[in-house]
Amino acid sequence: MSRIFYDHLIILNSLELKITDLGLGPEEKEALNQLVEETVHFRLMTRILDSLPREHHEEFLDFFHQAPHEERLLKYLQEKIEDIEDIIKKEIEDLEKSLLLEI
Amino acid sequence: MKKKSARKKKTSLREKIVSQRLQAEKEFHRKHPHAKEFFEKKGLKLENVRQHSSKLLAAGTLAGGLLLTSPQLSVPSAKLPYDWVKVLTDAGLVSPKDSPNFLAIRLKEVLPKITCPLDPEVERQISFLVEKLSGIRVRASLEGERLLTCYGLIGAEQHLPRFLGDTVSQHDEWRESGITPGRGAWGYFVKNKNELSNEDILREKYYVAVQTLYLPDWEKRQPFLRDWYQYRKVMAINPQNGQAVVAVIADAGPAAWTGKQFGGSPEVMVSLGLHQGMRKGPVLLFFVDDPENKVPLGPVDFDSSFMPKITVAESSRKAI
Repeated sequence: MSRIFYDHLIILNSLELKITDLGLGPEEKEALNQLVEETVHFRLMTRILDSLPREHHEEFLDFFHQAPHEERLLKYLQEKIEDIEDIIKKEIEDLEKSLLLEI
Repeated sequence: MKKKSARKKKTSLREKIVSQRLQAEKEFHRKHPHAKEFFEKKGLKLENVRQHSSKLLAAGTLAGGLLLTSPQLSVPSAKLPYDWVKVLTDAGLVSPKDSPNFLAIRLKEVLPKITCPLDPEVERQISFLVEKLSGIRVRASLEGERLLTCYGLIGAEQHLPRFLGDTVSQHDEWRESGITPGRGAWGYFVKNKNELSNEDILREKYYVAVQTLYLPDWEKRQPFLRDWYQYRKVMAINPQNGQAVVAVIADAGPAAWTGKQFGGSPEVMVSLGLHQGMRKGPVLLFFVDDPENKVPLGPVDFDSSFMPKITVAESSRKAI
């Protein structure tokens, strides 16, 4: 199973519908989905590191590299960042808004 | 005019996604060069972290040696609860008054709160219980093939066009769910409407989408895997209410970033009791071992199962 510890916080229903509505072929749809996927990882990692005190960065990155699926990563972040779940959700909301704006 | 507008919309959304993708990477590198360097040293590209995760999970890495302090692991205990042993061994044949509820209560005992890959022993135990309740042989692994997980989130999908020119008005139920503008991952079910058989109609009604594209060996083992998965029979079970449905794999997806692992046709979602509200929920998905193609597609009726229920052999008792 391809799983990242923040997956359950990613809600992009409107974007998913928009992409479905485009009526793309399977390959084209897959390519577009992959771009969204990559954007999500870059944006979330940036926001997490923005919020996490610098002295914990190496430790967190090491955990993440060893087990990106491990749900205890979220617990680790919760201990160090107030409202990390809301921060992640907000970042995803912002991404969706910026993609769907004026479409 | 309409076509032109759709094309423009497509270009516009695609352009925005590409632009956001580039901007996101640039921002990450600018703000956190030490993190960029860290991933480079480890040979990990952040954009490919899902494949990295998939490989780790496939290799059974649980990261038990991490510095994290919580003793809770995401994989449940492989020990069969006492109650199950009693039911399976004493009763021999399981025919409770309310099979779905009976199943749901027992699944709660072994499934983790958040969907994740299961311990193979737990998969075996669940298969065994489902088989005893329904008379249908289900397996997490069949003929050496297995999905990335058999416990994940399923989301509602639209109808699939069965042939070129198919419209939602030609489908007899759940028209409000709509129909996908593009064909499914395996193309149309038939070339034209005249070729449409009852089996094709049922396949579209009861279909699921699974993430075949993320299977580690998907590209390497073509066309074998494509053929193996196309219309492969599966049973989806809602662990929260025990409702189950037999369906076929007729599409690929959903995208990893949706946080879902499976998609279900409107009829599948109704059968699972997941057609209202968020139209999304946890499911168990097992292959149906049905070489003679005898198991019908549709909701599983535990009480009037068409197949003889299985008695527990002495060897099975010892195994559990």
